[in-house]
Amino acid sequence: MSAHAAPRTPTAPARPPSGFPVGFYRYRNYILFAATSLFMALGCIGLLEGLHALGKGEAAWNGFLARMARPHNLVLSVVVLGFTLYFVIRFAWVGRKIGAGRIGPVPRPPLPMPLLGVAPIGGFVTVWLVLLAILGGLLL
Amino acid sequence: MKLIHKLEPLWWILFGAGGFVACFFLPALLLGVLILGPLGAMPHGLSYDHAHMLASSMVGKGFLCVVITLVLWHCAHHLRHFILDLGGHSLATIAAFSSYGLAVVGTIATFSIVGAL
Repeated sequence: MSAHAAPRTPTAPARPPSGFPVGFYRYRNYILFAATSLFMALGCIGLLEGLHALGKGEAAWNGFLARMARPHNLVLSVVVLGFTLYFVIRFAWVGRKIGAGRIGPVPRPPLPMPLLGVAPIGGFVTVWLVLLAILGGLLL
Repeated sequence: MKLIHKLEPLWWILFGAGGFVACFFLPALLLGVLILGPLGAMPHGLSYDHAHMLASSMVGKGFLCVVITLVLWHCAHHLRHFILDLGGHSLATIAAFSSYGLAVVGTIATFSIVGAL
């Protein structure tokens, strides 16, 4: 350390709050939100498996669809979708406070906070419907 | 770990972009490809010819690469902090390298699989 460098500010070591991670509903929500990353990654792996089968030919693709139609795979897919939807809702719900923020001289939008949370979800659902229409062969 | 900390803005950008992309596209992809398709609810849309046509076009390849890789990087960053929250900072190095390492592997796998379509 040079003679002119400021001394390091003493800080207490980081420690988890009392009752973490399941002792309080906000902690549980936080943990559930963090756990969405595992399931979303699992969903991406499922999509990659499908794309890999698609690249191998028609038989492999039909085999993939048949494999995913097995009950235990369907249950896992529904659980993955459930965690993903929880992520989306929480993302929009936390993000509503950004929309209500004041930027410089621009006045705060005269919208109630719940609406700022619901509006992005409406936008997401619209995109999902368009994408499902494309996947279903209705648009392209 | 110095490099990991130096690149912290990059991890947060990838985390934010991945979360945004996941909100817009991931639920529909999961519902269509992993649930409705296998149940036979999209016989034309997810037939081999149509699915291959969608995925192997330039737009389709770009879309799939962007969505899957960004979501994987988002998950990696979230997972890193999840491990830190549960296990403390003694796990910082292993959390960072395992999470981002898996994201690198996922990115390479995505580009090679989508590129081969």
